[in-house]
Amino acid sequence: MRTPGERSLRSSFELVAALTSRDLQLRYQGSVFGWAWSMARPLALGIILSFALGKVLGTGITAEFLLAGLFPWFWFQGSIQAATSTFVSNGGLLKKVRFPRAVLPVSVVLGNTMQFVLSLPVLAGFLIFSGHEPNLAWLALPVVFALQLALIMGAALFVASVTVFFRDVEHITEVVMSLLFYATPIIYAGDRVPDSYQWVTRVNPLAPLAEGWRGILLDGELPGADLAISAGLTVVLLVAGWFTFRKLEDSFADAI
Amino acid sequence: MPSEAPVVMSVRGVSKRFHMVVPGQEIKTTLLHPLRAWRASHRNRDLWAVRDVSFEVVKGEFFSIIGANGSGKSSLLRLLAGLSKPTNGSVETTGRLSTLLELGSGFHPQVSGRENAILNGLLIGMTRAEMEALLPSIVEFAGLQEFIDQPMRTYSSGMYVRLGFAIAAFMEPEILLVDEVLAVGDARFQEKCYDHIATLQRKGVTIIMVSHDLSAVERFSDRAALMERGRMVLIGKPQQVVTRHIERLAETSPEIRRALEDGIEELIATSPEAKERFDEALKVNPEFLRMQAEKQARGQDDATPEPPSG
Repeated sequence: MRTPGERSLRSSFELVAALTSRDLQLRYQGSVFGWAWSMARPLALGIILSFALGKVLGTGITAEFLLAGLFPWFWFQGSIQAATSTFVSNGGLLKKVRFPRAVLPVSVVLGNTMQFVLSLPVLAGFLIFSGHEPNLAWLALPVVFALQLALIMGAALFVASVTVFFRDVEHITEVVMSLLFYATPIIYAGDRVPDSYQWVTRVNPLAPLAEGWRGILLDGELPGADLAISAGLTVVLLVAGWFTFRKLEDSFADAI
Repeated sequence: MPSEAPVVMSVRGVSKRFHMVVPGQEIKTTLLHPLRAWRASHRNRDLWAVRDVSFEVVKGEFFSIIGANGSGKSSLLRLLAGLSKPTNGSVETTGRLSTLLELGSGFHPQVSGRENAILNGLLIGMTRAEMEALLPSIVEFAGLQEFIDQPMRTYSSGMYVRLGFAIAAFMEPEILLVDEVLAVGDARFQEKCYDHIATLQRKGVTIIMVSHDLSAVERFSDRAALMERGRMVLIGKPQQVVTRHIERLAETSPEIRRALEDGIEELIATSPEAKERFDEALKVNPEFLRMQAEKQARGQDDATPEPPSG
């Protein structure tokens, strides 16, 4: 005897893959430039900010500095934003079909991740074009990538689950995202933050990641101890997200 | 009912409570109207959709659940399917369980029928390879050969249902849960669905059905159960359960009472045989007469009247 709901791991993986590819397929169906649009926002923002901050305000900030931070940021923001509503918008499915609920936010995050990975060659091309040769430090990129993916998964599971019971989370997330954008060293370097405010970058697990991406890509510098703290926070968030999801998932079908 | 067969679903003391308040609303009320929230918390706002239901279903059995609207049938079926967790009690099943709760939930209109079918199978718990092997039979059963690669937005609602049923039917379930789904689609397809269910039954598939289609319940079921305000008030032979259901409906609704009486009168007026039996039965017991005539009114041709018990 067993409780209803068991299935093979293989089926779960194939389900995630199918949902991810459908998600990507639907997003660009019928558009001429397809996935190129995923880079429109970071590129446009990078160019306009390098003009506004670099040229007008004269801070000396360059487009490649901004882009190395903006690409990973939009991966983070896009994933979380898309994940918030994933349980709510699939309410019909949750009420009618038995399947591992986690596949919904996971496939949304993976779809955004695929998009980010596909945009990396463009970013690399831009960096090389502007004189930043690939170096050995680039080999450390998978570490930063994996950490950020874990951070996104944890946050996505958390917000998606809580949104089912408290719809305001969708709007709260939006506000938090715009705050987080400025609280993370994306349009400025982390060492420019005054000492009395350094704690902001320390409690924000995204800050060492943003610094990490940029350090590796632009200067060939490996991330330091800050990233270890961020890794710790990420693990905490991932575990918290997973347990929140596990605790709430049984009542999804009743609450939607 | 094959009484020697192993139990494949065992439901023990299952109850389900719903809170009448939306959780988000609760927080809002607490923040904005603390007094009202305090008062509300002292009032009982719980709804027990299912109360202390216990039964067992054995392998190969066709078990139907009937009851008036809001009696908790569908909530119970959701609990059986594992879609929601019981507040108290437990549901245990053995074998692959497939649900026909709502056909085609999860179909995406922008994607082709083929891709939707595969995704649907993956959702139910199949692997891609299994699904691709089954697809030709599914497509044929649904009669969608020339449409299967078209996006589903081009499908008619009948085609939606046909594909949905075909997928669920070919999942080779060991236990099949059927909700009120067969009420959709045209008569010919409905007949095809029932035929297929009969085939599954012969193959030894256990079927648990929630239905308002009382003639189908009597036609197929080995046993039936009647739900009333969340409780399972009667489990027994389909005819007996259906009769009780109609009696209860007649008690609570004057329209149904009248319709039944009209039906009985019409039957007596048109069939001399029925009139004869009616008079005979009336001599024995007026209560028996009513039950017997009601059965006839539903097209039952049960010519062996059992002696009334009381």
